[in-house]
Amino acid sequence: ADDVLIPSRVLNRLFLLRAAAPLSSSIPQSTMTKLAEWLLGLSTLGVLWGVVTFDLLGLELPGSYREVAWPLPVYLLVCFGCYSLATVGYRVATFNDCEAAAQELQEQIQEARRDLKSRGLRL
Amino acid sequence: ASGVDQVAGMGLVGFSLMLFTYYTIWVIILPFVDSDHVIHRYFLPREYSVILPGVAALVLVLFVGKWHKG
Repeated sequence: ADDVLIPSRVLNRLFLLRAAAPLSSSIPQSTMTKLAEWLLGLSTLGVLWGVVTFDLLGLELPGSYREVAWPLPVYLLVCFGCYSLATVGYRVATFNDCEAAAQELQEQIQEARRDLKSRGLRL
Repeated sequence: ASGVDQVAGMGLVGFSLMLFTYYTIWVIILPFVDSDHVIHRYFLPREYSVILPGVAALVLVLFVGKWHKG
């Protein structure tokens, strides 16, 4: 179609470039998706946690280790929450305000409103 | 960032640091401290280290649900 934004000849070249890349065998490629990777990692950690908390292998670890293990999932979530809160707070505190640019923008908005009003636009 | 923003931001940072420190001592350090040490008086029984965050998460979810319009 002639009215498409990207000409088809450009699209064809882009697809050729993409198809050519995997022919290079110097970089090993994993076929697992990111979701599968995350699920594998999380379930591995989950199994380890379950084995320690419920003593599924009959290891009879010292009581103090088991006391640390069983709240660990909640502990990691709380840590993540604290990290997120601290990051947001820090970036709010160190945000780079541009006072002069903000002022200039306000003046330009007023100027534009005056101009449009003079041309008959009702705001 | 202007005055109020800086206070609010650094307040959040301080709060999360205190929360992290208290919670880490509670969950990670206390099991390795003798049960007759005086520090145990400043911490609730261990079950609450899971119950309280659970309740807080529930309250947060309900609060967001109330504020969000439809």
